[in-house]
Formats: sequence, C-alpha cells, structure tokens
Amino acid sequence: MLRTVILTLATLLIAIGGGAASVWYALQAQEGIGAVTIGNWTAYPNMGAPDADPYSKARAAREGVLALGRAEGLVFFSNRDSSGDTLSRKCSYVIEGATPPARFWTFYAADRSLAILPGKGKRKPAANSLSLLRNPDNSFTMTIGPDATPGNWLSVSGEGPMVFVLTFFDTPVSSSAGIAEIALPQVLRTGCHA
Amino acid sequence: MRRLLYALLLGLVGAGIVHIVILVLLPLFSQRDAWSRLAAAADLYVMTAADGSDGGKSTVESPDPFFKASACRFDLQDGPVRLTADGTVPFWSASIYDRGGQNVYNFNDRTATGGELDFVVVTPAQMIDMRKDLPAELEQSIFVEADVDEGIVVVRAFAPDDSWASRIATYVKSIACTPQ
Repeated sequence: MLRTVILTLATLLIAIGGGAASVWYALQAQEGIGAVTIGNWTAYPNMGAPDADPYSKARAAREGVLALGRAEGLVFFSNRDSSGDTLSRKCSYVIEGATPPARFWTFYAADRSLAILPGKGKRKPAANSLSLLRNPDNSFTMTIGPDATPGNWLSVSGEGPMVFVLTFFDTPVSSSAGIAEIALPQVLRTGCHA
Repeated sequence: MRRLLYALLLGLVGAGIVHIVILVLLPLFSQRDAWSRLAAAADLYVMTAADGSDGGKSTVESPDPFFKASACRFDLQDGPVRLTADGTVPFWSASIYDRGGQNVYNFNDRTATGGELDFVVVTPAQMIDMRKDLPAELEQSIFVEADVDEGIVVVRAFAPDDSWASRIATYVKSIACTPQ
C-alpha cells in the first residue's frame, strides 16, 4: 500500500517537476529552439511571428515583449566574445569585420534585460552605421570598454556581465532563407581591469 | 523493481505531456504580456512610450537608444484605426501586433508615399466596406488588413544622433492613433 503511494507520488513529481523544469530550461537557454547562431551572435528571426514555433511564441509571451518584424529589422545578441568568454563591463573589446547588407545598423551595450548600460558621463555605449568613423576602405573598428581610445570609442562603466545588441534595419537578410550564411563582426577582447 | 521502472517511465511520459501543455498554454495565460503592461500605462487609442523612456519597463524587445518607440492599443470592433504623423524622419517602421503580442504585419517608410506615416488598420470585412466607398481623406493612406479584434500598433522612429532629438520628439508627439 505504502509502496504504491510512494511510487504514485514519485511518478507525479517526475511528471510535473520534470515537465515544468524542461520548459523553463528550453525558454531561458540563450541558444534555444528557434535561435540562429552565427559566430558569437544569436538571433531569433521567428520571434513574435504568427508562424513561429511554439518555443518562440512561449518565449515572447513569457518576456511580454513586442518583437521587431521582418520588414523592420533583425536583432542579434551576444553575451560572449569570439573566443567564447562571457562579456564583462570591466574589459575592453574591439569589434570589427563585415556586416550584412542593410539600410543601416545600430549597436549598443546592454544589461541582461537589454536596457542600455550607463556610460562615462554623457557618452552612451551606442553607435550606428551612419555616425561611425570609417577606415579608407570603408571598414570600421569600434572599441568598447572603460578606457578611452582613439577612433570609435563606446564607453562602459561599472561591472558585471553585458550583452551586445546589434540590429540591422530594413535588411534583406531577415526575409531571405540565407540567414545562416551571413558574416557578422568579430568581438575581440583586448584587455581587462583586474 | 519492475514497478519502480514502470513508475519512472510513466513519470517521464507525464513530464513530456506537462511540457507540451505548459508550452501551449503559456501564451494564453501570461499575465505580464505587452497588452497588459500597455493597458496599465494608457487607454485605448492613446499613443504611449513603449521603449521605457517614461521610466517604466520597456515593452519593445530591445529598446534601441537610437529609436523612439511608441505604441497604441486599438480594438477593430470599434471600427478601423488610423495612424498619422506630421513631417518625416530618416527612418520609421511600424508593426501591428495581435492581443497576444504576435507580430501580424510590419512595414517601414519605404512602403509609404514620400515616407509619410499615414496608414489605416482594418479587418478584411471592413476593407470590403472601405473599397465600396473610400472616404476622400483616406485616399493617400496605406491600408493594412489584419484579422484581429484587439491589437497593438508600434511605431519606431530613428534618430541618428542627438542633434535629431528635438525633431524626433516633436514627430513622435505628433503621431495620432484615431478610430475612424
């Protein structure tokens, strides 16, 4: 009798606990179902779309956010540099490389809730492709970190993890099938404060 | 021993069922979805900041510092809803979301005549009525057919740098969300 009760309880515990935990895990994982990963960047091209998979739909509902549409743009997130280490506000990073075709793009450093981080003084850790200093061959290099550098410097203050948000607006990438084949800028760590 | 294995197996099958049920029901029972948060901030047909610039939590997914995003809730059962703004900006984009926050239609300023923001959200049935007798003031408008009742429209306006701030602020303030 007691064995039956214990076994029943164990079954229910596994079913409810395991079911809930697996949903929670699938939704909070950064590289979950529905995500497209290119290098250290992750995008959710189907987030909020009516034809999205159930995981993307549940993620949108849980976070209660209105996602960017495909005709508007495509957002890439990164919480790691190109060597796979977590981004830290105490470190300096260089961002350079190719960007996919788009009318323009914006970049900013954010906290985990994707709100922009405070910079030093009035300098915000944000840049867009229209107001960037470029090299003679039209490529660009951005430096982001607590220490001032010449060129495109985005200042970050404080400590803790950070997320880079790179958004391409009015881009053919979001509506075509070749999203996994595009090249995105590299994030290289140049140094850290102890 | 066999009973224990049986219980474990049953538990795992149950976990699979619970997983699917939670996943499907989550969007239906979410209490803190975008609609509820916007409802707490403003009435139907009132444009309100959606990027957290009013001090609250942002309703749009990634509150871009170069963008001003504002939203208005509508109910197409009251009739079509029209969005207009004065002037032009370097870039704007608009999205129509249904009650659950799914993006059902989106477009940007390249879609509009001269980049001006002027569009009307209608249901397919209202579109048929509109086609029969198009009001003169809507001749230049873009018609967006959305098969929803309650919904949210978000307009995002791009400010390339701080020198645009006052112009974008004026533009965002001029966006009107009016039931027809």
